[in-house]
Amino acid sequence: VDLAARLVPPGRAFADSVRLGWEVSSNWTQPLVFIIYSILRPLSSALILVVIYAFVTGRRGGTGPYLAFLVTGTAFWGFVNSGLAGFAIGIAEDRGRFRMLKYIYIAPQRFHLFLLGRGAVQLANAAAATAIVLTVGTLALHLPINPLRVNYAQLVAACLLAFAAVLATATAYTVTLLAARDSYSYADLGAQMLFVLSGAIFPISVLPGPVAAVAAWSPLAYWMESVRRALLGDQALRMFPHLSDAAVLERLGLTAALTITLAWLLYRWADRRARRSGLIDMETNW
Amino acid sequence: MNPPSAGRVFLKTVLARAYPRVVGANRRRSWVIFETVFPLLGTIAMVYVYQALGAPRAFLGFAVLGGAMLAFWNNVLWFMAAQFHWERDNGNLEIFIVSPTTLVAILIGMALGGMLQSGTRVAAVLIIGSTLFGISYSGPGMLPAVGLLALTLAALYCLGMMLATLFLFYGREVWHLANAMQEPVQLLSGTFFPVRALGGYLGAAGSLLPLTLGLDAIRQVLLPGTPQFIPVAWEVLALAAQLVVYAVLAQWALRVVEVRARRDAKLVTRWT
Repeated sequence: VDLAARLVPPGRAFADSVRLGWEVSSNWTQPLVFIIYSILRPLSSALILVVIYAFVTGRRGGTGPYLAFLVTGTAFWGFVNSGLAGFAIGIAEDRGRFRMLKYIYIAPQRFHLFLLGRGAVQLANAAAATAIVLTVGTLALHLPINPLRVNYAQLVAACLLAFAAVLATATAYTVTLLAARDSYSYADLGAQMLFVLSGAIFPISVLPGPVAAVAAWSPLAYWMESVRRALLGDQALRMFPHLSDAAVLERLGLTAALTITLAWLLYRWADRRARRSGLIDMETNW
Repeated sequence: MNPPSAGRVFLKTVLARAYPRVVGANRRRSWVIFETVFPLLGTIAMVYVYQALGAPRAFLGFAVLGGAMLAFWNNVLWFMAAQFHWERDNGNLEIFIVSPTTLVAILIGMALGGMLQSGTRVAAVLIIGSTLFGISYSGPGMLPAVGLLALTLAALYCLGMMLATLFLFYGREVWHLANAMQEPVQLLSGTFFPVRALGGYLGAAGSLLPLTLGLDAIRQVLLPGTPQFIPVAWEVLALAAQLVVYAVLAQWALRVVEVRARRDAKLVTRWT
């Protein structure tokens, strides 16, 4: 029997996974409550930084670019937080709480397509929160973001590269975490570590030398830089002032490609280990 | 054989429920690592924000103290407020209800154990954060700070006891509810900045949380020069009042839960 020929077509498998992910992540409450929940945390995170900024600087002249730096970084960080931590927790729930991961694994579809579909939903959830934080920031804090002057080509290219890297990292990290019984904690911890290295709320040059060097290999730092340049133009506070826009995008592409390659290798190894060690249907006493 | 007295049962229940918090939780190394490193990373990130803004070194203490106290709030949220929900899912809550003890004793045990459990994590965050960034504290303020911490924790865990019963009325929402009480609470309580920076109205709203007033008072005694929200003496009075109010509300909420559990036989049964 040609089992490969009987697999669900990739497009349908991905679409079903997206639909399932959306249902699981949103049907625990009413739509209005879900919307409020989705924007409450990122908006609060942004406001914490705005208050710190106002407290330290007294909004004195010349510090405005750093406010825009903080708000844009927090807004776009939501993609990584949802895409990595939210996704890993979702899969841990599928295994430990709903006990359905084993059925998905043996279903006639590629497992990584299921994971990518679930991850894509997390990114879509984050998009709404990002848009709202940016809108509130622009209107209430007078950030220099003009929708007519945004470099959309740069923004879209940077986001696509970063999303591919985030999804690949999240997929590999999540399957690796199947070995842990309390993987939900490590999901948050992984995102928090990336947060420190990403340049989301402070330039990576503030970090100690060796840590800054590690951060410079992360696609997230170049993504944040590209996004800020695309949104704010000349008024963006630059982490890499010596690099042109194209050079930043180029480095983003290179580091994203490296991240995806490493993530793929890690995924293959973790997937084999999960099957051999019986981790897919492990009881975790959720 | 005479049955043990009610007081002895109460005390033994408190100790029995505190035991897994103090001893059991430390056996799980992954939890110890997570509960220490997670708030530490958040604290470090905020300190770097202060540094990037060119803030004076004295300001870094705001972030370190707040980040350390965050471990207590996380403990109240996940190991007090959401705990009865987990116990229900594991089938323990039914046993608690029918056992010859009170839920109050169980909650007090959870709270005492949680304070000690988190205390070690808080100490680790404080020591590592303060050493990394060279933060010093006022020597004479140490003893008052310990007293303020004790009062704050008593009020905070009474709030946790109240939330533990309220969370029982929810199912899958509990996880999201607890999540939704993270960053918004960090904002309203001034975890990473002096609460005065929020302004009068927001600061007053945030003062409903014992964390807000306790943290502000501790900062005032440990970090001289902290912008004062209200005088420490008033904060002590407000915390004492909160302790009483939240304890009474928790007691009332527990009674409601017990009555509903026995009458409807639904609230404490496993839902999955």
